[in-house]
Amino acid sequence: MIPPPEVAHWLAGAVALFVGLLLLSEVIVGDDIFRKRVWRASLWPSLALAGGTLLWVVTAFSTFSTIHLLAHALWAEAAMIAGAVQLALARGKLTSPRWSLVAAAALFFSGVAFLVHESNPWLYSRSAFLHHVIGWTLVVAALFPLGRALQPRRAVWSAGFALTFVVLAVLLFADRDVAPIFGRFGEGGPP
Amino acid sequence: MRARGALVLAAAAALVAPATASAHAVLKGASPATQSSVDAAPSEVRLRFSQPVVVAAGAIQVLAPDGSSLAGPARVEEGGRVVVAPVSGLRSGIAYTVRWRVTSGDGHSPSGVYTFGIGVVPPPPTDAVGARGATWRDDLARWALFAAIALLIGPLTLRLVVLRGPVPAALERRVHLVTTGAALAAINAGILGFVLRASNALQLPFGDLLYGDLQPFAEKTRFGIAFLFLTVGFGVVFGLLLLAWVLELDAPRLGALALSVGLVAGLSLSGHQATEPGSSWLTALVDWLHLVAASVWVGGVAALALVVWPTAPALRRRAFVGFSRLAVALVGVLVVGGVYLALERLAAPSELWTTGYGRVLLVKLAVVAVALGWGAVHHVVVRPRLEAGRPVRARPSLAGEAAVALAVLLVAAALTNASPPPPERAGDVTATAAR
Repeated sequence: MIPPPEVAHWLAGAVALFVGLLLLSEVIVGDDIFRKRVWRASLWPSLALAGGTLLWVVTAFSTFSTIHLLAHALWAEAAMIAGAVQLALARGKLTSPRWSLVAAAALFFSGVAFLVHESNPWLYSRSAFLHHVIGWTLVVAALFPLGRALQPRRAVWSAGFALTFVVLAVLLFADRDVAPIFGRFGEGGPP
Repeated sequence: MRARGALVLAAAAALVAPATASAHAVLKGASPATQSSVDAAPSEVRLRFSQPVVVAAGAIQVLAPDGSSLAGPARVEEGGRVVVAPVSGLRSGIAYTVRWRVTSGDGHSPSGVYTFGIGVVPPPPTDAVGARGATWRDDLARWALFAAIALLIGPLTLRLVVLRGPVPAALERRVHLVTTGAALAAINAGILGFVLRASNALQLPFGDLLYGDLQPFAEKTRFGIAFLFLTVGFGVVFGLLLLAWVLELDAPRLGALALSVGLVAGLSLSGHQATEPGSSWLTALVDWLHLVAASVWVGGVAALALVVWPTAPALRRRAFVGFSRLAVALVGVLVVGGVYLALERLAAPSELWTTGYGRVLLVKLAVVAVALGWGAVHHVVVRPRLEAGRPVRARPSLAGEAAVALAVLLVAAALTNASPPPPERAGDVTATAAR
């Protein structure tokens, strides 16, 4: 009854794509216009918070190895904390642009968790390759919110941040149905 | 340029080519199945993995209760996805332990342990042959979980029940900080406790433990199932508290408090009061009330010292007097529940000093007596002064009571991990297996 792992990957990819497109539209039309309505600015942080909460369910099904359990827990915590801080920024509860450092830390540690929990080398398989690419994408992309914390008016940081999620979505959608990274749902079926 | 082109080509090839083998090899199924009871002795043990593995001759060990190994040399089948070891000499009416260790294509070595019985209900994997009992690390992890739950439920109760209505911003910020941090701590302490408990049975060095199979513990033991519910539940609690902070609403916090109180039942339903022989729905219910009362009391006292006193001097009297009234009821529940549960677990007063469980209980009673005495002094000395509007320097004393109360939780954690003396009444052997 449990859906195969790529369904979780694709669901995460859909959320990442939606978040990326929202952020991209904000970059295109500009902060002032996009944030005329608070709900629009609150949308992607709310998705991050809700997505992080749902990740706990995935965490509960990641007990096939200790490192997978720990990695999923870290992603859930990073998404929830970063989402909540961005939501507080969108609603004006927090004002300093330095709070973007939280998103930078979330991306960095999420990327490190991807790299650490992938034990295979780059070209071992598609799944291994994707994990390495996603890991390094997130680690490098931590520079975008870091730059935004220091130079909040420069659009390049916001554009890079937005494109990070689009790239992440593409990588997650590239996952196939034979992906035993989620152990129990991998190819072969039960004995 | 050439190197860049090669990388792009490699990337494209990796994405286009079908995936044949992906990440780490994980156990997908076993025969005899994990924690199963079979009618006849099997002639072999078969393990199916998610991808091809290589094995040494001793990859599968089938251990009798006396520790003797009954498995022959292991071999692989089906392209390396199935590992088979012949077994002989297995007898009906006995439970056996299977320990396995294989090597994935990446060189790492996933390992696992599970049990099965022939005509009997097997013990949980935590009681597998070679498993170690709880250690001080397990006690500390359990204590961290208890303390986190107390610092979650206590301050929320103080804020939402005793200090209803508007409060100074500094107090509100501190409540958010303490409770949200406590929810996060509860999740991580739960994960730590679960991994430690599994590691006692897996008996692996740290590097290999990272690839240890935790599924038998998560799916086939009460504490594992409770861990899954608590993890997801406290994840939701964490989300509600973050929402309450951002939106400045009380409703999510009320939901978080109600859910947290409900989640404490997970500890009761996976502990002695629900699993040991002689347990009933009543012992589990009383244990839950006992835990909730302790959490509100310990966390509430800590919140008075850490949250109210430093951030809201004008609310000290209201908070102290209000919580003091509540504490009387809490202590009543604690004492009555504790006495009932002790009577259920101990057959005779002499077991208090003749068994390890009884001695830990004695220590707990002594620390509880200190904490209650300290609380009584507050009730009799500090409260009248505050009610009379006289200045009272109560913060160090409150911090002291909170520290002693946290010590109670530490002893309670050790008590939870200890085994009660076996009851003299006969019968219930399946309850142990349910642990």
